[in-house]
Amino acid sequence: MTLSALNRKLFRDLWAVRGQVIAIALVLAGGIATYVMAASTLRAMRDTQTRMYREFRFPDLFASLKRAPLSLASRVRQLPGIIEVETRTAAPANISLAGFSQPVSGLIIGLPASGPILNLLHLHAGRLPDPNADHEAIVSDGFAQAHKLNPGFRLDVTIEGRRQTLTVVGIVSTPEFTYQIAPGSLVPDFTTYCILWMNAKPLQASFRMTGAFNQIAATVSPGFPFENLFAPLDSLLRPYGGLGAHARKEQVSHRFLTEEFKQLEMMATLFPAMFLSVAAFLLNVVVGRLMTTQRSQIATLKAFGYTTSAIAWHFLKFTLLIVAIGAVIGIAGGFQMGSGMARLYKDVYRFPYLEYGLDWRVTLFAFAISALAAMTGALFAVLKASAESPAVAMQPANPGHYRRAWLEFPGLSQPSRMILRNILRRPVKCSLSLAGIALSTAILVLGGFWIDAVDFMVFAQLRRAQTEDLAVTFFGPVSSRALYSLRSIPGVTLAEPSRTVSARIRFEHRSFRTGLQGLEPSATLRRLLDDRLQPFEVPSQGLLLTGHLATMLGAKPGDLITVELLEGSRAIRTLPLTATVNEYIGISAYMRRDALNRFLRESDVTTSANLRVDPNRLDSVYSRLRCIPAIAGIAVRSQALQSFYKTLAAQMLTFAFFNTILAGTIAVGVVYNTVRIALSERSRELASLRVLGYTRGEVAYILLGELALVVFSALPLGLWLGRQFSAYFASTAQTELFRIPVVVAPGTYAFSALVILLSTLLSAFIVGRQVNHLDLVEVLKARE
Amino acid sequence: MQAVFHAHGVTKVYDMGEVQVHALRGVDIELFAGEMMVLLGPSGSGKSTLLNILGGLDRASGGHVFYRDFDLTTASDSQLTQYRRLHVGFVFQFYNLIPSLTALENVAAVTEIARDPMKPEEALDLVGLADRRHHFPSQLSGGQQQRVAIARAIAKRPTVLLCDEPTGALDSETGVLVLEAIDRVNRELGSATAVITHNADIAGMADRVVHMSNGNISHIDHNQKRKQPRELHW
Repeated sequence: MTLSALNRKLFRDLWAVRGQVIAIALVLAGGIATYVMAASTLRAMRDTQTRMYREFRFPDLFASLKRAPLSLASRVRQLPGIIEVETRTAAPANISLAGFSQPVSGLIIGLPASGPILNLLHLHAGRLPDPNADHEAIVSDGFAQAHKLNPGFRLDVTIEGRRQTLTVVGIVSTPEFTYQIAPGSLVPDFTTYCILWMNAKPLQASFRMTGAFNQIAATVSPGFPFENLFAPLDSLLRPYGGLGAHARKEQVSHRFLTEEFKQLEMMATLFPAMFLSVAAFLLNVVVGRLMTTQRSQIATLKAFGYTTSAIAWHFLKFTLLIVAIGAVIGIAGGFQMGSGMARLYKDVYRFPYLEYGLDWRVTLFAFAISALAAMTGALFAVLKASAESPAVAMQPANPGHYRRAWLEFPGLSQPSRMILRNILRRPVKCSLSLAGIALSTAILVLGGFWIDAVDFMVFAQLRRAQTEDLAVTFFGPVSSRALYSLRSIPGVTLAEPSRTVSARIRFEHRSFRTGLQGLEPSATLRRLLDDRLQPFEVPSQGLLLTGHLATMLGAKPGDLITVELLEGSRAIRTLPLTATVNEYIGISAYMRRDALNRFLRESDVTTSANLRVDPNRLDSVYSRLRCIPAIAGIAVRSQALQSFYKTLAAQMLTFAFFNTILAGTIAVGVVYNTVRIALSERSRELASLRVLGYTRGEVAYILLGELALVVFSALPLGLWLGRQFSAYFASTAQTELFRIPVVVAPGTYAFSALVILLSTLLSAFIVGRQVNHLDLVEVLKARE
Repeated sequence: MQAVFHAHGVTKVYDMGEVQVHALRGVDIELFAGEMMVLLGPSGSGKSTLLNILGGLDRASGGHVFYRDFDLTTASDSQLTQYRRLHVGFVFQFYNLIPSLTALENVAAVTEIARDPMKPEEALDLVGLADRRHHFPSQLSGGQQQRVAIARAIAKRPTVLLCDEPTGALDSETGVLVLEAIDRVNRELGSATAVITHNADIAGMADRVVHMSNGNISHIDHNQKRKQPRELHW
């Protein structure tokens, strides 16, 4: 097949401006890659979620209670809309592993003799426990992986002080625990938190729950408004210590996944939109320039009888070829990045399986939106040039119209005047270049912001608010005299009590279920912080809420809040909101412990204790604590900190790395194209000045001075914009799980500016070399 | 009379890959102070190549070109830039004004970097454009633009004024105005002037007419009396 003359011209034109073609294709590729990565990961995770919810029979309703007879299940089953009901026993457990000194806490779940009908398990290795075996267990795959456990391994499990040895016979995962987070933890830590399953009978025996259950889950007929089921279910469960029923959207794993999907959705829209608009702008500039340089060629072609539409199509093909190059790089890169991201996700979210693949709809859409963006960018220039009459187009173009710039001042050198006037002559184009550079600066700030924000959250939460070394949770309320025995353990230097109770907090028609914590007024290990992160004493009266909860309820200090306790006395009382508490992680309500105890009509009791421990005696403290039967769980703060960093660091550094590359691509794309086009538009002018005796440096000053002015104006704007983006992202990421503080470290600003300056220098260097090769003789001969 | 330029055996070969184009085949020429020389010849005869070499825009492939004692053929790039900056005035066929600068500023762009230049206003007066100082190139006619280019070329009081087809893009009436400006500068400043043209009628205003063809000087005519540009017709 032979190429038509026009198509041959097309390829040569592309080759002639290959530097710019590559720069634009890379910016396009950046947009497409982020889109393909986020969209295909999102699609894979959503598809997997839907499929596994169905396959593993994920329930629609959940409720926890203290203890109810098994016969209650049949009454729940009779509620309208309910299809299937499953009751079970779940107990907190302390686990010891040979060769691992740190405390491991876990949740141990009873398996019905006939096997579960809801929340089915996916067996990765081994088998389910033999129905008659009392000492066989299966464990969650995250924990097994973290400790390299294989079937056959033995674990020492302590439930309510009764220790028994279980043999691991299988490794499983289930949609219920895609996100395995220990209560009170920030992120999953697979080394210190474990989900286990064993036969219900022996579990109920050790947990003193024979013939009873403490968790219930149900499926609801499709389309049935399950909100209508909360009230009847709650009234059935209330006498048995029911903590309130909730739907999937409050189920922990489901909630975290939903939040993750939201973030991915944003990544799949906002980032590609930014990249593609920059690419569209660049194409507009480059194609516009191409049309100008080929003005007389276009006229000649038209004079030969080519139609306007044939010529317009010719130049649009030029654009489409660039899109094609960008799309191929972007789709391939996005697919690679997406599979990496899916692997990272699979480490955090323990899906039974995750089928990541390149979806043809994602690919097609990626190509379509980038082609659309590119066409939008190029169409105007193409139509304008191809519609010009041949006679007019063959005339030399008139010198451009200029006027004095308002910024000029006496004594300005002529080259400086040229810079100012050139900028002001094309304010739109110049502003778009400025916007492009500002945008890439902002993207860089945004990338750094995540790391700064997480550092700040860790600092605020774990260094200012929760300064304990260990937190121990008791199985239920215990007398605060228990503190004495904790304080008597060698190595424990401080022990402070706290009382937590489930409560429903209500203001006007809005309500929220959370833990109400009773703290000591003078507590030093668990402190409440104000807006300036300064600790303040818990007031003797009234209620304190996390700022986010107050906002959700629409309440402000001074308002009367209704507190309904879901345990113990189940009392309902109205308390004034005395202040809001600044917390980035979780949602809580607080009051003085003595006031809470009175509210509960209890004596001086506590449900957990925060400890400060001599770091040299940690191990001996661990082993002493493990022997105390009343302790349900032990959390290590340094472990929490480490696991938090470990989980997030890999994700964030990967993100920051790609972010820097992508933003750098935009910066180089914009800067290089801006200055390259300026060079081609003004090569004649610059060559004239060289002929008149201007040195290379002086000529480069005119070209690069304009660029420097644009870049230096764009930088502060970009840094400001970056902070605005960060604030926007932080506000969209504001959830019940965590709030991201808007904190951008000076180092992030400096790094962002540095990347932009380096990109500028790189572009300036490339173009500067081209200035050196200006052909003085040729430029003067040819007319523009 | 003192020679401003003397060139011996100047050759210029353009290597175009498979073919070599001999633009100059051993040219010997001199240009004297205050002299008006016209280089005449068809396109491809080598006259522009010669002018570019004299102006320090291009280098000879062989031979020697001296500006006074300064050998242009061995000069470095920055030496050539300095040479153009201080000694040479250029006028081009397509004016090559800076569109973002006014007439006065176009001239100032050169006086700012020259040694002992005249005032930009003075240079514009010399070419009869005192009343167009603050106009941008886009607001000037072709002839006016070319006269601004001449003012720009002479404002540094150049030793040599090199004009490449200065009237090539102009009608004859406007062309005469431009030639008058060149003629006046040559007489009043005493700059050695070389004008390239393929228009034989212009030859009448020169002291010496150098005919070029095929990369060589074919012959040289001396005019006994220089004609006034007004007397020229084409």
